[in-house]
Amino acid sequence: MKPDAQSATPLVQMDQIEKHFGGIRAVNDVSLDLYPGEVVGVLGHNGAGKSCLMRILSGAMIPNSGTIKVNGEVADIQSPHDARDLGIETIYQTLALADHLNAPANLFLGRELKTRFGNLDDSRMMAEAVRVLKRLNPNFKNLNDPVSSLSGGQRQVVAIARAIYFDVKILIMDEPTAALGPSETAMVGSLIRQLREEGIGILLVSHDMHDVFELCDRVIVMNKGRKVGSHRIEDVTKDDVLSLIIKGDLPHDWAPRSQKAVQ
Amino acid sequence: MADLDRGAEPASWTFKLSAGSFHKLSALLTLALLIFAFSFGNAAFFSINNGLTVLLQTSVIGLLGIGMTMVIITGGIDLSVGSVLALSGTITGLSIKAGVPVAPAMAIGVMAGAACGFVNGFVITKMRITPFVATLGMMLIARGVALQLTGAAPISRLGESFGLLGNGSLFRIVEKTGGIFPKVVFPGIPYPVILLAIVAVAGAYLLRRRQIGRHIYATGSNEEAARLSGVLVDRTKIFAYVLSGALAGLAGNVLMSRLVTVQPNEGVMYELDAIAAAVIGGASLMGGVGNISGTMIGAAIIGVLRNGLNMAGVSAFIQQIVIGIIVILAVYVDQIRNRR
Repeated sequence: MKPDAQSATPLVQMDQIEKHFGGIRAVNDVSLDLYPGEVVGVLGHNGAGKSCLMRILSGAMIPNSGTIKVNGEVADIQSPHDARDLGIETIYQTLALADHLNAPANLFLGRELKTRFGNLDDSRMMAEAVRVLKRLNPNFKNLNDPVSSLSGGQRQVVAIARAIYFDVKILIMDEPTAALGPSETAMVGSLIRQLREEGIGILLVSHDMHDVFELCDRVIVMNKGRKVGSHRIEDVTKDDVLSLIIKGDLPHDWAPRSQKAVQ
Repeated sequence: MADLDRGAEPASWTFKLSAGSFHKLSALLTLALLIFAFSFGNAAFFSINNGLTVLLQTSVIGLLGIGMTMVIITGGIDLSVGSVLALSGTITGLSIKAGVPVAPAMAIGVMAGAACGFVNGFVITKMRITPFVATLGMMLIARGVALQLTGAAPISRLGESFGLLGNGSLFRIVEKTGGIFPKVVFPGIPYPVILLAIVAVAGAYLLRRRQIGRHIYATGSNEEAARLSGVLVDRTKIFAYVLSGALAGLAGNVLMSRLVTVQPNEGVMYELDAIAAAVIGGASLMGGVGNISGTMIGAAIIGVLRNGLNMAGVSAFIQQIVIGIIVILAVYVDQIRNRR
């Protein structure tokens, strides 16, 4: 964690975001901010609205009301394209890979490299893909195969590579380790730390308390579409967070742990 | 045959077949077998003349098949191509009757086909109607318009130049003899065949080397993923349907030109031949899979079957049965291959 993180302008400020489907308020008046070099965990039950909130930031969903500021300026994010132009990259829980295409084609999907004549530059895309994929997983082979034939871990690596290859400033990771084995999970952990060192802001959606406490600087907890808590990680215990997730409330005798230590 | 891939031991034999090339190989083999079998049945089958005839007959299905392949790769289907073919020919014919020269009139016909394709794409992407229903509607609409415009009567006396595209040929060598009929040394490569070759190469280039082609595959493979990756999914789909419509228009002009008459009720069930060609060539109706060379082989198989069975004196009804069986077998072989 960087002590000076809070002094800079926030990378992202989501202000009073609302999203409803018919009568259901999936996201209800939620505000969130993210600073450079900070990892913020976004927690909650299934259906608590956290994925919805992340999809709004990544342009996959348009909110009914609320504003989003990126680097202090109001950003109008209408499509995934807009979000990417602002440096917001997302690793989706479903990975969002086109199964019949190979790894380089997926890596550059929507942002294909082209030759002077506007043709696809497959050899350059392959070379770049080899470079970035080998960095994440030295054992990565069969780049020419369709990604449907790759293992879960390899598919995850392709999805991660796609998010960090381009000029990423804000990274949204939706359950990035759900499909991974222990060694790959460790790899993702060290990658998150490395990206944080580079000043990238990361929003980490996770169910894994261990990961959250290991990696995050702050946590935001959502319950039934509302934000029920936003705490520095050293102020809360796993039990406090679980209470927020399940009850939507802190234990009644709760006080910030760091302040307790001072008293 | 299906063991080729499995048996590929890294040490002894590193030759590995991808699913796509396996399917293409088996389709090519089928084609070769058919040609071989028909050559035995009838000596006249295996001749340059008949070969060119088959190619000529294949060209219309081939043109439709190229557009159909693009649409099928996006995960859709275009049932309207047979009717759009008739409507485009009709519009060309009416334009010529109205005094437009032949070439611009044909361009108008092709544009009418593209417009039908655009309507298909618009209805599918913006009104969120499934491709099957949307193009079924267009199939009825386009046929209805063609019949209404002509009163279901053919348009003839369109001038000799109208027949050039369908009946002309390149490198035709004719030896002048004393008799009434000159001796044809080489019948020449028919213009429709040349047109098909050009369109096929252009289509394959588009799918393999251009961004729009990559996006067509991505859209059919995983539409949501493509959208999240910044692919303009709706525009990609509309592009595919417009192309399919335009190629149906082109095929219509070729067909009507061959007949030197516009027949508003031509092309019934052609969409099914086009779909069969694409499917035999390895395209998957689930989307994301298919290619032009496969579809060309598929169209050739259908063409050779029709021609060969005709020459063997098999009735048109039996031909339907055979082609139906071939379609099912082609998909079945693919299924077996994928299950492994």
